[in-house]
This record gives sequence, C-alpha cells and structure tokens, in this order.
Amino acid sequence: MKKQRLVAMLAAAAALLVISAIAIIVVRSRAPQPVAQAPLTPYAGSSGAVTARSVGDGDDGQWTMAAKNFASTRFSTATEINTANVSRLKVAFTFSTGVAKGHEAAPLVVGGTMYIVAPFPNNVYALDLTKPGAPTKWTYKPRPLSAAQGVACCDVVNRGAAYANGRIFFNTLDNRTIALDAATGKELWQTKLGEINLGETMTMAPLVAEGKVIVGNSGGELGVRGWLAALDADSGKIAWRAYATGPDKDVLIGNGYHPFYAMDRGRDLGVTTWPPEAWKQGGGNAWGWVSYDPKTRLVFYGTGNPGPWNPEQRPGDNKFTTGVFARDIDTGAARWYYQTSPHDLFDHDSVNEQILLDMPVKGRMREVMVRPERNGYFYVMDRGTGEVLSATPFGHVTAYKGVDLKSGRLIPNPAMEPREGQVVRGICPSAPGMKDWNPAAFSPLTGLVYIPHNNLCMDWGSYEASYIAGTPYVGADVKYYAGPGGNRGVFTAWDPVRGRPVWEIKEDLPVWSGALTTAGGLVFYGTMDGWFKAVDQRSGKLLWQFKTGSGIIGQPISYRGPDGHQYVAVLAGVGGWPGAIVSNNLNTADATAANGWGVAMADLPQKTTAGGMLYVFSLSR
Amino acid sequence: MSSRCRARLAALAALALLSACDREERQSRAQPVPETLPTPRQSILQPGVPARTAADPRARAYENNSYQMSQGQLLYQKMNCSGCHAHGGGGMGPALSDAEWRYGGSMEEIVATIDQGRPNGMPSWRGKLTEQQMWQLAAYVRSLSAQPRQDVLSSRPDAPSSTEPATLQSRQPVVPSSPAGVQGTSR
Amino acid sequence: MTGGGGLQGEQFNRLFTLFMGITGFFYVLVIVGMLAGIAIRGRAAGTERGERLARTALLGWIAAVVLGLTVLTVGSYASERRVSAAIPARPPLEVQITANQWWWDITYKNAVPANELRTANELHLPVGVPVKVTLKSNDVIHSFWIPSLAGKQDLIPGRVNDLLLLPTRTGQFRGQCAEFCGTQHAHMALDVTVEPVASFRRWQQAQLAPAAPPSTPLAQAGHDLVMSQQCASCHAIAGTPASARFGPDLTHLASRRSIAAGTLPMTRGHLYAWIADPQGVKPGNNMPYIGFDSAKLHAVVAYLQGLK
Repeated sequence: MKKQRLVAMLAAAAALLVISAIAIIVVRSRAPQPVAQAPLTPYAGSSGAVTARSVGDGDDGQWTMAAKNFASTRFSTATEINTANVSRLKVAFTFSTGVAKGHEAAPLVVGGTMYIVAPFPNNVYALDLTKPGAPTKWTYKPRPLSAAQGVACCDVVNRGAAYANGRIFFNTLDNRTIALDAATGKELWQTKLGEINLGETMTMAPLVAEGKVIVGNSGGELGVRGWLAALDADSGKIAWRAYATGPDKDVLIGNGYHPFYAMDRGRDLGVTTWPPEAWKQGGGNAWGWVSYDPKTRLVFYGTGNPGPWNPEQRPGDNKFTTGVFARDIDTGAARWYYQTSPHDLFDHDSVNEQILLDMPVKGRMREVMVRPERNGYFYVMDRGTGEVLSATPFGHVTAYKGVDLKSGRLIPNPAMEPREGQVVRGICPSAPGMKDWNPAAFSPLTGLVYIPHNNLCMDWGSYEASYIAGTPYVGADVKYYAGPGGNRGVFTAWDPVRGRPVWEIKEDLPVWSGALTTAGGLVFYGTMDGWFKAVDQRSGKLLWQFKTGSGIIGQPISYRGPDGHQYVAVLAGVGGWPGAIVSNNLNTADATAANGWGVAMADLPQKTTAGGMLYVFSLSR
Repeated sequence: MSSRCRARLAALAALALLSACDREERQSRAQPVPETLPTPRQSILQPGVPARTAADPRARAYENNSYQMSQGQLLYQKMNCSGCHAHGGGGMGPALSDAEWRYGGSMEEIVATIDQGRPNGMPSWRGKLTEQQMWQLAAYVRSLSAQPRQDVLSSRPDAPSSTEPATLQSRQPVVPSSPAGVQGTSR
Repeated sequence: MTGGGGLQGEQFNRLFTLFMGITGFFYVLVIVGMLAGIAIRGRAAGTERGERLARTALLGWIAAVVLGLTVLTVGSYASERRVSAAIPARPPLEVQITANQWWWDITYKNAVPANELRTANELHLPVGVPVKVTLKSNDVIHSFWIPSLAGKQDLIPGRVNDLLLLPTRTGQFRGQCAEFCGTQHAHMALDVTVEPVASFRRWQQAQLAPAAPPSTPLAQAGHDLVMSQQCASCHAIAGTPASARFGPDLTHLASRRSIAAGTLPMTRGHLYAWIADPQGVKPGNNMPYIGFDSAKLHAVVAYLQGLK
C-alpha cells in the first residue's frame, strides 16, 4: 500500500513538473520579447568572443565603400574622438550639394579627397581635404534624364559610390553605372543597364570586389523585374546578370545551387511559384546592400518585395523575391538562397545589410551573417549554407507568429493577412518595416549591433492593381502610425549572441539614417529632425549632439584626414520615403500620401525643411 | 374652395415640382469636337499685352458633371494615378489636393499635362488614354483641390481606403477654374 | 423555374414540385372548407352538432398543417443532404469569379499557381465534377445566377461568397447578373459550357497557352496597335507586354462565344462594331470610344480574330 502511494505521489509530482515545464515554454513563446523599457539599461557585458571578421584592407583611416568594408561593419578603428572628448566635437567645414532632396549617401574618403554623390541629378563632387575649407577638386555631372524622377518610388535618392583602384563607381537614377577617374573626375566608361519607361531606376551603392562592380536595380513598386549585375571594373562590360524571377537560367541557378531548406529547392521556381506571366512584373529588386566574403568568393545580397503589394494577385511563394542570395562573384551562379518572407504580404523587402561576423552560436564558433530584417526579425544565418541559426523579433511584431527554424518558413498571422476589398488594421511592423534600408553598424568593442529602426504599425486595404508598364503597380492603400509607446523610431543596441536588446533609445521620428561605430567607444546616428548624435556604445548615453540644417537620413562615416586627425562626416538633407513629405511638399491631409506616410509624418514639415548639406566634424583644437 | 379643388391644385403643384428636377445628361461617348481648339499655354508670361485665347467648351461640359467626375475617379485608380499622387496627397508625384499647380490648374491645363506629360516625371498619356478619358480625369483631379458641388461628388471611394469618401472630406480653398492672368489660359 | 443542368437545379426543381403540391393541396382544402362552411352555416349554426363539427374541422386543420410542414421540412433537409453528400467540402475544382460593371472576370485556381487560368465572360465546367465558385465584386453588388445549374448568390464588394455547383448534364447554358447593378445590368451575361471532362481538359490546356502570335502582316500591324495604343492600358494578353487588369483578359478572345458579356455574338462583323463604337453597342460601359480609322480598325480586328 505504502509503496503504491509513493509511486502515485511521484507520478503526480512528475506530471506537475511536465505540465509546468510546458506552461513555461508556452508562456515564454507567447510572451512578447522582453525589451529593456528604460532607454539606458547599463551594458551587461557581452562575451568577448564576438568578433567582426576582418576582411579587405586594414583600417587606414579611409572610407572606400558605403559599408566601410566587405563585411559591412561600418566600424572605424580611429580612437582620437572618444567617449571622453566627444563633447568637444565641432564643425570643421560644410559643403552644400545644392539639391533639396533626400540625401541617403555615405561620403567616401580616399587619400586626401572626399567624394560625394548627390541625389538626382547625381552630381559627383570631389573635395580636396588637404586644403583649408576643403575646396572642390572636380565636379562630374552625369545629366540623367529628368523623366527618371517620375519612376523613382521613394524620392530620387542615391545611396553612395564605391572606390577601387583609382576609380569611383556610382549609379545614376536613369540606370547607368559610371566609372570616373578618382584623380581627375574624367569619365572612364558608362554602361546603361535599365529602361525608365519600364519603371526601372538605380539608387543603390555599388560594391566593388575582385575587379567586378556589383549593382542592382530599383522599382519594386512599379512591377520592375529585379536583377543584380556584375560589371567588369575596367571596361564596364556586363560580366553576368542574375534576375530575381523567371526560369533558372535567368536566375543563374545551376548545379552549384544548394539551398538549406526544402522550400527553396526545385526547378524553375521563379516561374512555377507565380501565376502565369506574373514573374515578368514580379519585382525582387536588389536595391539594398551587398556584402562579400573573399574567403569563399561569395557575394551576399537580398531581393526586394514582389509586385504588386496586393498579395492576392500573386498566389504562390513568389520566388526569388524577398530573400537572400549567395552568389559566386566570378560567374554569378547562385550558391544558396533563403526566402525570408515567402509570398510576401506586407512589402517586407529583404534588401537590408548583412554584417559578416564570426561568432559563437550554441557554444560553437560559426561564420555567420546577421541581418536586422524588415519583417521585424533579427536573423543570424550561416553564411556558408544559408541555415537560419536564430530569428528573434527586435520590436513589436503582430504580422507574424515567428520563424519555423525546421522548415525555415516565416509563419504569418492569419488574422493580419490582407484581403481584397477589406482594411486590415494593426499590422506591425508596417510596410517600411521594423527597419528599412538604413544600415546598422557593428562594434567589436562591445560585440553589439547598433540598429537604427522604426516602431510603426499600419492599416492596409488591398485591391486589384492593373499593370501598366512604367506606372506604379501596388494595389494597396496603406496608412502608418506609431507602434506601442507612441515613438515612431528606435535606436537599438542588439546582442546578436544572446538575441536580445542591451539598451534602446526611443526616438520620436523614424530613425532613417545609418549608424557608425568607432573604436573610441562611440556610435553615431542622425534623426529626421536634424540632430546628429553621438552615443556611448556601452550605455546608450547621449554624449554629444548637433542640430544640422535639415533632417538626417544619410550614412555617417569617420576618417583620418591628411592632417592626421580623426573626422566624422554626414550628409544632412531630409527626404527618402518618409521624408518625401517634406522634400516633395506633399499634402499630409491625405493619410495615404507617399504610400502611407501622410498621417505618420504630418508633423515633419514643422520640424525640418529640405536642403542638402555635408557636415564634417572634428575635435576643437 | 372645395376640398376637391384643393387636392387637384396640390397634385398640379407636385407635378410642376417634378418637372423642375432636371436629370443630368449622361454623355458616354465623347462628342466630336472641332480640331482648331487652342493648346493651352504653359507660361503665364507673355511679353507685352497678353493675348486672349478662347476657352475649350469641353472644360465646362466635364467639370461639375457627376458622371464624368465619377468616371474620372475610376480611371484615377485604374490608370495607377493614385500610385504616384495617392488620394491627392502625392508621393512619387506632387500633391493634387493643395493649391499649388506646377503646370496650371485649369481644366485645359490639366488635360494638357496628362496628354503631353511633363519633364520632371509626369508620363505622357497620349495614345494611352482617349481624350475623353483625359477630360474625365481632369474633372476628378480638379475636384481634389477645388470645391466642386457636393451633389456631383461620388460618395463611394473606388478603393478599400482608410480615407473618407470625398463628400465627407474638408476641402481646400477654392482654386478658380481658370484664374485669368494667373495660370495660363484666360477666358 | 430553373432547368435541370446541375444537381442543385434538379434538387431545386424537386423541392419546387413538392412545395407546389403541398401548398396547392392546402389551397384547395381552404377553398373547399370555406365553401362547405358557407353551405353548412345556416343549418348547423349554434347547434351541438355544429359545435362538434367545428371542433373536428379545427383538429383536422391542425393535423394537416403539422403534416404539411413536416413533409416540407424533411423534404428540404433531404434535398440539402443530397447536395452536400454529392459535393465534398473541398471540391477538386475551384473557380473565382469577380464581377465588374458589366462583365465577369474568371480565374480557375490551381495548387500550382503557374497553372492558374484567367478568362472572362465564359465559364467552362466539366460534367459530374463538383466545383466551388468563390464570388467577389470590384464595384457594386451583383448576383451570380446560372438558372440551369443553381440558384442565385450575391457578389458583394469586400466580401467573399461561395457557391457549390455540380453540373449533371452537358450543354450550353446562360448565366445572368440577377441584381440590378447599373445601366448595363441586362447586358451582363455569362456563357456557360458544361462538357465532358476530357474536352474540358483540352479547353483548359488551350486557354493556358499564351496568345497566338500574329500570323499576317495585317495582324502584326494590329498587334502593334494594341500594344502601343489605348488597348494595353486596360487589357491583358498573355505572352505580350499587355498586362492591365481593368478590362477583360483578351488572350483567347476569339475562342469565346460572345463579345462584351453576352452582348453580341462573336463574329467578325460584331468585333468591328464593338471596337468602332462600344458606346453605341453598350452605352455607359467602360470601354471608351477610341476613334480608330478604318485601316487601324482592320488591323486590330485581324489581330483579335487570331486570338483563338
């Protein structure tokens, strides 16, 4: 009898344990990701094992590509400006670009010269840093077609140039890639890659590696078929061009293609996962960031949203839009692909930067790429295979229920799925995503990724869009507004190893600028009302700020000048997708202005005015 | 007066009232127009004494006509105008619901803009839309900023939109249909 | 009354006959009872026999009503059961029909999206195969009605309705919008062909193919006009740059039985008439008067006629 009772009690205890374990698991998986609510949670100390993979040249104080290096860390090793003296930062000189549109570009600094690509009309300026006041060394005017402005979805921006072997490479809005002699500004070659009458434009910053200039097109809101092309850096000849939709031979999928997940395998998925002919207007534009791993000779980049936005018009997974490709840089052949948002529902492009890191995952060092994705998840992926090691939301997500790490599939929330003729409310993140193109930075000092991003939700009503080449192909009426907390922007320091935020700064306006980290323990970013800020990497404490003449949506950089001192530079000039409210003088009485920013940005015209200006800062001496 | 007489009178009065309800004529086919109509000027600057140009009679026929305006509203969405100009607030293209007209805000000027396109990105719809459709669109586009008669506005939005139907929206100050001497053609 | 081309139609007919029979019986009963009452009234009023008679008549009446209602209920239930038993919850064929002023946009859904088929104003169904029809509207409320196959179902903007169909007899039927939807409501018909499964598959394969390329210089000129002129702003033709969705899909226009949602039979002459003056044929519809001269008209018709 006694023994029996004991067994029963033990069984009961075991059952209780199991039930509570299940309950804990369920509760934990249901509970929203705990986010440090206080803006300044002290830095708890990350494992020192996280290191950025050092690729390319060592940091010699130059800034030769928008993302600083092939690994896209945007980290400067300069230490002259640091947490102790940053309060003494003063303007060294300024330079007006004469354009009142959105300035998203990163300036480049090579030797004693700074290079700037302005928004349309895409003039290139070379400033001589060796002389006081940095006078203009040369100017190059590509004179793009005026009409190109009419097919640029989200302001006539340009995200910067690239430098290699004495040449400057950049894209024009009317689809030309141009190479200039960095010393003289003489045009060496130009290649026309697209057609504005089909809605194509080019806004991205090229990446140059192994003698190839990697460029992609924009136009996901106009039903433009996306591609990424490699041009020969010497001649401008097209070495290869890989489309994002269509038959395998167009996508450059061959025998070497080994995606990690079953959902991305199959023949001609770029055709079979679309209604007939729809892939021809399918989008998937490579308008964002490209990274490169010289060890494996792989190029990494993401593809944009499928066209149209209205998902009901394109049943199927819509390969190979909204996903990440790894391609061989010599042939363009796809090595692997992973679709972050199969059958994208909310314009959640997958073009954000991939920061290449070596970091411990479950106790083992892995060669990974980390991607703060537009759909709200922070992806850690094996960059050799495309395996998703973790995907953690870094903000408030209602649109999805998570990422199934077994199948790799993003799980949509059925309650939020758009339906034609209806308005679905409370979708978070909104179409501009948890984070749009504005690149994050990584600091090996702390092992953290610093993410400038949004806190926005939206209402979405979809209807059937009609494709007329060269006109918008959207089929959705959207309206954005601030997410929980009421702040529209956030600047988050994210621990990629533990998958959690360490601190975050709530910003009133969406943070649409890039981030810059320096070995001085600082992280820089700008706000859309024109504040340029320096923050302590470890604590998130605001150490210095400066009000520029117009909202900042550019990418800050840091360099060592010819005088041996460290400088920090950023382009101010509000615009871009949300800033078009100001730069295009839109009417905010219409909530759907600028594809949904009307109400969300109604106060922006009171907070800033348009105007493009370069600001360069150094310590007062 | 007998009650019978009174009833008869009332019936007559009711009939008379009914006859006053003038039903709007619906033109589903464009009327042939003479080809000598002037092209609107794109500049208000005319050195010396400005010449007067005759107004296009179609401007009056289409503006403030409920049917033409609602056809224009339908086309505004189906021809993807809303993709660039949103519901008047603008986006890739300029706002249409404010009082600013880069290329003139009269019916003739709006039709000319749709037909010819404009250098900073407005595509030319010549041959892609019929002239009648351009006039219908112009009638709707003008209704976005001006104050059209409430009875000719469509209360039904053509898209599942979070914006209110036109009849419930507060309108911008009236923009004159043809601000003589201010915006292009004078009447 | 509906014809007997589909399971629902047949069941509907059967139920209709049953209802007619029972209600007819009660109609006769009431008339007879009334006449009998009038005849008896004078003689039996107030007497005990009269009271008894009235009580018996009332009881008989109640019994008859209960019986009648029971038969009707059981009949409806059985009919409903019959239909739902014959049609699985997820039928093998799903067709999405979107109503527009004034035409029908038809999409045959497929598990492989690349095999989705889009056509307009002509519905082909395989005989004996249950079909799920999902109904949507782009503008106002319409009603989908193929009298020979099934009853009506509304198409409501912002909502998705569905209807299950099981055609039991091959043949050509006519569908019609059954809810007033604007000036051309009467000219919003739907051509329905119910055919053997094999010929349905053949039709499906043929419709899935992209449009035939123009075969003559005249047709080529027509093709160029269609692509560069107003046509491509509204219509889609698979295999060509024309991909707009405002008007009906024209990929296999010439294979259809009628023009403009049953307004005109598909003949060369009617194509001319329709393109030359759509507003004369169907006033108020959204196809504009383009004003092609005769040379252009010849070319466009030659091209469209080749879209078999």
